[in-house]
Amino acid sequence: MIGLSHYLVLSSLLFGLGLYGVLTRRNAVAILMGIELMLNAANVNFVAFTRFVDPTFVRGHVAALIVITLAACEAVVGLALVINAYRHLETVNVDQVDLMKG
Amino acid sequence: MPLDWAYVAVFALVGAGMAALPLGLVWLLAPRSHYPQKRVAYESGIIPFGEAWSQFHVRYYLFGLAFLLFDIEVIYIYPWAVVLRELGAFAFVEMLIFLGVLGVGLAYAWKKGALEWV
Amino acid sequence: MNWADLRWLVPELVLSAAAVLLLVADLFTPAERKRWLGWFAVASVVPAAASAVILLGDLQALRSPGVRIFSDTYTLDAFAVYFKLVALGAVALVSLVSLEYFPGRTPHLGEVFALLLFAGVGLLLMASASDLILLLLSIEFVSLSSYLLAGFLKRDPKSNEAGVKYFLYGAATTGVMAYGFSLLYGLTGSTSLYDIGPRLGQAGPAVYLAVGMALAGFGFKVSMVPFHQWTPDVYEGAPTPITAFLSVGPKAAGFAALVRTLSVGIPLEQVNWPLLLAALSALTMTVGNLLALVQRNLKRMLAYSSIAHAGYVLMALAAWRSPWALQGLLYYLLAYLFMNLGAFFVAMVAADATGSDEIPDHAGLSQRAPWVAAAMAVFMLSLTGIPPTAGFFGKFYLFAAAVDAGLLWLAALAVANSVVSLYYYVGVLRALYLMPPATPGPLPVPAGLRAGLLVALVGTLAAGLYPQPVVLFVETARRLLTG
Repeated sequence: MIGLSHYLVLSSLLFGLGLYGVLTRRNAVAILMGIELMLNAANVNFVAFTRFVDPTFVRGHVAALIVITLAACEAVVGLALVINAYRHLETVNVDQVDLMKG
Repeated sequence: MPLDWAYVAVFALVGAGMAALPLGLVWLLAPRSHYPQKRVAYESGIIPFGEAWSQFHVRYYLFGLAFLLFDIEVIYIYPWAVVLRELGAFAFVEMLIFLGVLGVGLAYAWKKGALEWV
Repeated sequence: MNWADLRWLVPELVLSAAAVLLLVADLFTPAERKRWLGWFAVASVVPAAASAVILLGDLQALRSPGVRIFSDTYTLDAFAVYFKLVALGAVALVSLVSLEYFPGRTPHLGEVFALLLFAGVGLLLMASASDLILLLLSIEFVSLSSYLLAGFLKRDPKSNEAGVKYFLYGAATTGVMAYGFSLLYGLTGSTSLYDIGPRLGQAGPAVYLAVGMALAGFGFKVSMVPFHQWTPDVYEGAPTPITAFLSVGPKAAGFAALVRTLSVGIPLEQVNWPLLLAALSALTMTVGNLLALVQRNLKRMLAYSSIAHAGYVLMALAAWRSPWALQGLLYYLLAYLFMNLGAFFVAMVAADATGSDEIPDHAGLSQRAPWVAAAMAVFMLSLTGIPPTAGFFGKFYLFAAAVDAGLLWLAALAVANSVVSLYYYVGVLRALYLMPPATPGPLPVPAGLRAGLLVALVGTLAAGLYPQPVVLFVETARRLLTG
C-alpha cells in the first residue's frame, strides 16, 4: 500500500535534486531546469496532501494547476531573458555574467 | 512476498546483463586503434570548420514559447468544462473574459510578427 | 461566489482592464504618438485609487473590519487599502518619470507601461491575498513583470545581466516558497490563512521548516538578508525608473503580504516568529549598512541602503507585541515611498547628462541644478532619519515599538546603524555641494521628472512636518487588519 509518506519522500527527493541543481549548475538553462524540479516537487506535495489530509479534496488540485501555469510562465520569461542575454553577452554561464561587482 | 521481490531482482539482473553483454564482448574482442581524426565530428567526409555550437534561429524559441503559453491555458478549461452546468452563467462569462485576454495576447503576438515563419 | 462580490475587486479590475487596453492600443499607435500611452497609464491609476478609497468608505458604512470574498482567498480591509494606495502611488510616479526616460532608449514604449500596470495589479492583489494560492500567484505576477522590466533595455548588457540575475534568484526562491506553502497546506489541510492559523497548533516541529521555507519568498521580495544578494546587481543594472519602482512597490507589497501571513496564518504561540525576525532584522540592517559604506556607484549604494531599510522595517515585525509596531511599519513604508523614489529620481537627472551613476560624477550638481540638489539633501537626510523629515517620524515609531516590546538591544543597534548611514548619505551631499562640476552650466530637467521630484519632495516634507493625517490613517489601518 502506498501511503502519504511515499509521496513525501518522492517530493523531498525531487526538491533536493532541484535545489542541488540550482546551487551547483553554472548554466542558466540548467538552473532553470532545477527550479522546475523544485516547483514540481511542490506539486507532488499539493496533490498528495489533497488526497490524504484535505477534507474538501480540491484546494491542492487548484494549487497544483496554478503552480504548473506559474512554472510555464517562468520558463517563458526566463528563457526569453536568457536568450536575449546570450545574444549580447555570448554566454549562458552565470559565472561569466559579472559586469557588476562590489 | 519476498519471492515476488526475488523475481524483480532476477529480471533486473538479466536485463542489465543483456545490456552489458554485447558491450563487454565488443570491448574484449574488437581490435582498437586510436588516431586524432577519429575524434573529429563527422561532416560527410569534409574537414569540419567553425564552432560545433551552431546558432539556431531565435524564431524556434519564439514558437516554442508561444506554444507553451497557449498550451497551458487548456488545463483551466478542462475543470471548467466539468463543472460548467453547476456554476452557470457566471462561470461562462468568466471563461469568456479569460479567453478574451488570451485572444489579446494572441493578437499581440500576431501583430508583432511572432507567428510569421519567414 | 457571485457578481456582487466583484465590486470589492474594482481597483484590480480597473487596472487590469487599463493594462490590456494599453497593450491593444500600443499595436495601433504610431511610434511618434507612443508617449500618449504613458499618459494613459498615469491616468488609469486615478480611477483605481479613487475606487480603493470609495471601497474603504463602503467598509466603514458596513461597520465591518473587512470583507473576505472568494472562499476567504481575498480580504479587503483598511490595511489592504493603505497598501493599495502606496502601490498605486509608486506605479503613477514611476510611469510619470518613465515618459522621458524610455523614449530613445527602447522602441517598445507601450510594453513598459503595460508591464508597469500589470505589476501594479499584482501589487494590489498581494496587499489583499489571504490564501496561499493567491499569495503565490500574486507574488509571482509581480515578479514576472519585474524580471522583464529589469531586463527591458535589450541592447544594454548591464540591463540584460540585471534581468537574468533577478530572474534566477527570484525563480529559485519561488520554488522554495512553493514547497514551503505545500508543507503548510499539508500540515493544516487548508490553503486559507484563516484556517491555517487555528489548525497549526496540532502540527509538530515541521512547522518551523514550512514557515522558514515560506519566508524565503517574502525575504526575496523585501531583500532581507540572506535573500538579498540579487539587490545590488539588479538595482545597478536595471533602468533607473524601474530600479526606483522595485525599491518601493514590490518591497511595500512584500511587507504587506508578510504581515498578513504571519499575523493571521502563524500564531505567535506556535512559532515565535518575532524572535526569528529580530535576528534577521539585526542582520539585514547591519549587512546593508556596512556594504553601503564602500560603494561608489549611487544606484548600488542606494541598493545596499534599501537592504538596510528593509532591516529597519523588519524591526516592526520583531516588536509585533507592541501596539506601535504595525503603525511604525505602515508609516515608514509611506515615508520610504517618497524619499527613496526621490533619491532615484535625482540619480536620473545627473545620469542623463553624464551617462554615469558614479557618485563623483554627480559633483557640483548644486551649481548646475540647485533645486534638484536641495531635494536630494532632503531625501538623504530623511533616509538617515533627521527631523523634520518623514524618515525621522518613521524611525521614531519603529524605535519606540522596539523599546516598547523590550527589544532594547535591537533599538540600540538600529540607532548605531543610523549613525553609520549618515556617513554615506552625507558623502553624496559632499559630492553635490562641495566638489566642483566637471562641466559647468545649468542642467535641463525634463518636465515629468520635475513633477515626480516635486511630489516626492512634498511628500517627504509634508509627512514629516504635518504627520497627523497619515498617523490617523495608519491608526485606522492598524485597527482594521482583519485577524
